[in-house]
Formats: sequence, structure tokens, C-alpha cells
Amino acid sequence: MEKKSRIDGKRTFNRWDILFISVAFSIIALFLITPSPSGLSREGWLMVGILVMAIILWITISIPIAATGLLIMVMQPLLGVVPAEDVFHSFGNQAVFFLIGVFILASAIEKHGLHRRIALKFLSMFEKNPRMFTLGIMTSSACLSFIMPEHGVAALLLPIVASILIAMKVIPKQSNFGKVSMLGIAYGCSIGSLGTPIGGARNPLTIGILANMGIKVSFFDWMKYSMPVVLIAIPLVWLILQFSFPIEVKDISGAKREIEEQVKKMGKMGRNEITVSAILALTILLWIFFSSPEYFGLAVIALLGGALLFFTGSISWEDVEKRVPWGIILLYGGAITLGVGMKNTGAGSWIASILLDITGNNEYLVILILIILAIYITEMMSNTAAVALLIPVGLGMATQIPGISPLFASMAIALSGGLAFMLVIATPGNAITYSSGYFSTKDLLKSGVIANIICVAVIFTVAILYWRGVLGI
Amino acid sequence: MFENILLPISSEFYPRNALRRGGFLAEIFGSRITVLYIIEEKVLDNADRVSDVFRSYYEREETKSDIRRDYLSAADEVIFENAKQFFEEKKISFHEKTDRGEFSDVIQNELNKEKYDLILTGYERGCFLHYRIIDESHVPVWVESDSGNNTILAVCSNLASNQKVPKMSVELARSLGWKLHMLYVVDTQDSVEVDEKGERSDRKSEEDLVATGEEFLKEMGKKGIEASLTKGGLEKETINAAKSIGAGLIVVGRKQKKTTVLGLPVRSTKKKLVDKCEYSILFIN
Repeated sequence: MEKKSRIDGKRTFNRWDILFISVAFSIIALFLITPSPSGLSREGWLMVGILVMAIILWITISIPIAATGLLIMVMQPLLGVVPAEDVFHSFGNQAVFFLIGVFILASAIEKHGLHRRIALKFLSMFEKNPRMFTLGIMTSSACLSFIMPEHGVAALLLPIVASILIAMKVIPKQSNFGKVSMLGIAYGCSIGSLGTPIGGARNPLTIGILANMGIKVSFFDWMKYSMPVVLIAIPLVWLILQFSFPIEVKDISGAKREIEEQVKKMGKMGRNEITVSAILALTILLWIFFSSPEYFGLAVIALLGGALLFFTGSISWEDVEKRVPWGIILLYGGAITLGVGMKNTGAGSWIASILLDITGNNEYLVILILIILAIYITEMMSNTAAVALLIPVGLGMATQIPGISPLFASMAIALSGGLAFMLVIATPGNAITYSSGYFSTKDLLKSGVIANIICVAVIFTVAILYWRGVLGI
Repeated sequence: MFENILLPISSEFYPRNALRRGGFLAEIFGSRITVLYIIEEKVLDNADRVSDVFRSYYEREETKSDIRRDYLSAADEVIFENAKQFFEEKKISFHEKTDRGEFSDVIQNELNKEKYDLILTGYERGCFLHYRIIDESHVPVWVESDSGNNTILAVCSNLASNQKVPKMSVELARSLGWKLHMLYVVDTQDSVEVDEKGERSDRKSEEDLVATGEEFLKEMGKKGIEASLTKGGLEKETINAAKSIGAGLIVVGRKQKKTTVLGLPVRSTKKKLVDKCEYSILFIN
């Protein structure tokens, strides 16, 4: 299907877009004229309509993802579901400012090429053989996604790895080494983005929704829940890639030479790089030790880091304008107001009870289904959108099943929602690395299906044994 | 026959077997080969669309420019280098070009600029290329699959005027020194006849269609060409026949098969063939 055409950078609608937009609004009309089912308020019913509309628009991307976020915020007061004041109240969460701070920090890292230096340093530690090198690619993608948004990491690593592959005369789409290297970036970024609240916008979204319920999650708390998943998933997914595409390259000297050349080109660390590194390190330390509710919270530290960058002259407002994607704030706004609206109108609990009628009250089965739903829904739409849709349902389930707490359900959904491994459109990381031309859609599907199944098992096991057994959440 | 061959290679798919086939044809026909590397903008636009909310316009443009640069390096260091080694070894005249845009559009533009006798390409299922060029080009399109023996299967049917295919297949078989087998398919799913102008007739009975086919076979027999007749769906029968003889090349002409069923568009015969068939196909429009 021909999805989009762009003329001079402007987006134009094709007939499919118009069809999907019409269907989305017809759904709203349908919900307006039909009575609400028993057990659900009129507001709840209309909220389900808004949810269905959002699902259609987020999957088809007939209008930009952020514009759907806007629409969600607008539709709630227009349909009389939630007063305008309440809609914007839920938007004014500190997670929004945390996101802004994170993007300002990422701007400085990108501007001075600090991420490039870190990536090259990492890669040079894995030059023993081609297999280890691909593990190095995955590990550096994951580690960089702890300190900056995953999509930026994918965009950074793509040219670095591509230049190495070109220097090694690796043939696009035919070499398994090329496939594993590029898929390693995509999967490494996705897995790494679970590690800290910085990696993906769905993480602060989850923290924001939980904060609205009075459940505070600090930076360190997040890492405590997510890191075991990251540490187990990285080697397992790397092994899946090795089995799916046995590497044919024997000699890694070409990669070594290229990395050495790139390191040489970068030269020594400049003053700005050192300043940005110091501010970044300080910010991370503050996040780890002082982001809990009794101290400063996530946003204050993120904005402090951002302010320090301005004071030290490491970044200008022009850089921020260039590199901060303001659309994500609208997506976040739409997502969080959708989540809060679903919860407050009872729509989330209503959908949850329908699901529980199917699954029964077996808590293990419910957890498994939440994880599977999150992983497979995120394949079809933006991770943030998928998490926004599912968390209210998960919270609804948590209120109905004694063994599942809201924090437990939200974390299971948030982490699973980041693991989009199968489709090109699932996440920007996949789309960016796919555009390198080194792997096909079939390759992505082949390894992605297995990697997703394994990751369902990893999250489920960590959730049951560690979150519940050790941390008691 | 093929003096000037265009060998388009998309950044989406690098068909090395098409390079080999190009070398083989150029040696026989003394052709000049143009390797056209196409940066597939559709793929970049897709990445842009998926990430527009997560990355700023500036960052996305930066990434696009990085990727374009990598594509060009890959073309220079890997693809053109391979082509150079391959063609220079055989002393084949070739030159390289790069362009960016949508695969079929770029080829069409190139055809408007220069005269080519053949487009030689590979085929990748499930990628972003739609291969519209197969349906739209007036220059023969050879889709290389690298399988089969030295036999040409020329496909004629009630859905084509059957003028170009027999002529070109005979000429090709003679030049390549390959065996030729002519297949006449009576397409029972679309029971019309197509005249010399490409106009479709009213529906005809199966007996009438078979009679026309048998007449065609007689004509081929007179020319000493081995031919057979079969009934059924055009794509399915073609693939079955290609399998049974292990065809190295299937020659297919312009088919005037119905383009809609119950008012809904149906996929073109050529696209279906190229998608399902594991043998090389030469489309003559």
C-alpha cells in the first residue's frame, strides 16, 4: 500500500489516509449515537470511542502521531467526557518536563559528538572476532540508550556501523554479518531503552500515569525493575541473531582499521565534550540518588542538567530548537490524558473486565496476556501509544485481581511495550536501521518473532520471580 | 538485439545475479551496460514518517543525509567495484550512474533520457520496491532469478495478440543457442480473445478458444517450433510448464487480462508471475 507522499517536505494525503480518517471519525459518531452498555457510564463509552479512534489513527499514521495526541486532548472536552481543565491538569505532570530536560541533554551530547566517542570506545572493546563485534554493537546500542533516547542512538550508530561494513566490503542484504550488525543496533536500542526512564518516552509516560495515582517511581526504582530484563535479554537476543544468521565473515581487521581511523579523526576530547560529560555524569548521579519523591524528583534534575548546559555555553537555544522534537510533548499529552480519562471514566476497568471474562482470574495468565498484548500491539503502532492504550486496561485489571498491583501491571506493560522487534514500522529504530539496506523485512520478521517470544518469557519470569519474589511489588 | 542494457540496482536490493546475466548477454550481443544505482527515497521517507514525532526535522534530515552518503559509499566501494571487476575482466563496455527517487520513476526518467533495448534487474519479495516498471516500461524487462536450464519457455495465450513473443523468442533462442518451447495457454478464467490492436473480444466458448490455440500451434509447427497447449489460469499454467521443463527463461508478452473483479482492482498478471515464479522472466510490452 502506498502510504505517504511528500512534496517539498509537506505531507499530502492519499486516498487511504482519507479513508482511515473518515473511518476514525465515523467510529466516534457511532459511539455518540449508540447507548452505552450496562456497567459503563456514558462518559466511559465515549472514552472507548476516542480510544478506538486513536488506535486507528496511530496504526495507520493517516495524520502525524503527534496530531492524534492533540485530537485526543481536544475530543474529550468536545464530547463532554472530561472537562478541559481536567484534561490539561493531567498533562501538567512533571514527566513532561523530565522529557524536555532529557532532550536538551541529548541535544548537547549529539552536538558535541560525545555519543559517537562513547560508541567507538565500546566497539573497540569488542574487536576480538566478528561475533564478539556484533555483541559489541548490541551492547553499545543498549548502553547509549540508557543515557539518551533510543532513536537518536540508532541514528548515530547507523553511519558508524555502515562505514565499517563498507570498509569490510560487506554486501548489503546478502551478508549475515551485515544483517546481524544492523539488527543488533535496532534490537540493542530497543532493549537498552527499557533500562532507564530516559530511553523511550513511554517510560516517563508510565511514571507520569503512576504519579497521577500517587505512586512515585524514582530513576533508581525504574532501573531496579528494568535492568534484570535488559541484562538477560541482550545476550539472549544476540544468540537468536547468531542462530538466525550464522556469520560468514572471519576477519575483523577491516573493522578495527575503520574504528581506529574514526577515533583518530575525532581527535582528543574537547573542552565542550568534557563539560557535557561532566554535566551528564552529575545529572545521572543526581537522578540515581536524589530523584525519589522526598528529594527533587526526575524533572527538576533533568532541567537542572539542561540549565547547566546553557550556563557553561555547551549548548545554545538554537541547538535546542534544532534537536528537541516538540511533537513528542503532544504525543505524551494525548497519551497521558487518554490514560487518565480511561481510568477516571471507568473505561479501562470495563475493557479489563471483558478481558478477564476471557482469561479468568488466573493472575499468571493475566500477566502473561498483558505482556503479550503489549509486545504485539507495539509492533503495529508507536511504543508510547501502545503503552498509553494498555496501561489503563492493566490498571483496571490490577484493581480486580488481588495478586496484581498497579505498579506491577504498569511496569510489565511499559517494558513489554518497548520490545518491537518484528516490523519495520514498529519503531523508528527498526525503520532507521532498515533504511541502511543491510537486512530485509523478512530477516527482521524471522529473528523478531523468536526474539519477541523469548522476551515475553524473560519479562514474565523476571516479573514473577524478581519483582514479586524479591522486590515484593 | 540488446545493444544498450540498463541494469538498475536499488539501494533496497542488490541483485548480483543480474550483473552475471548482464555479462553473459553483453558477451553475446556486444552490449554496452549502464549500471544505474538508485537511492530509494521511499525507504528514507518511511523512516522519516515513523520517527517524525520522536526526532526533530533537523535530526531526521541529518540522518537522511548520513544514509544517502552511506548508500553512495556502498555503491562506490561495493557495487560499482564488483561491476568493474566483473565487466572489465570480460572486456565489456560499461559505465555507472547514480540517481535518487522511486525505483520505477528513476528508470522511467533514464529511459526518457537515453535509448535502451533492455532493462535487466533482479526481484526481491516483500521489499519497498513495487516494480511498477514491469507493467509500465515499453522496453523489455528481464527479471533474473538465476535458475533453470538453457530452455526458453515462450508464453502465448488468448489474452495477447501473440505477435512479439514468438518473434523475439525465436531470435533470442537462436542468439543464445538455447532450446525454445512455445506454450499456448487458454485462460479459462478470462475467456476472451485479444486482437492485434490489443482489444478484448466478447466472451467466447472454451471450444472456440481452444480452436484458436490449436491453429496457433499448427502455425508454430510449420516453423519447426516445439509447442503445446494447456487450459487453466495463465499464471498457474505458466509456472507449472516452467517447472516441468526447468525453463532458464520465460518470455511473456503484454496480456490484456481483466484488471478488476466485481469492481475491485486485481493484481497484474506480471506481478503475480514474478512474485510466484522462481525462474527468470523476460517481459515484452
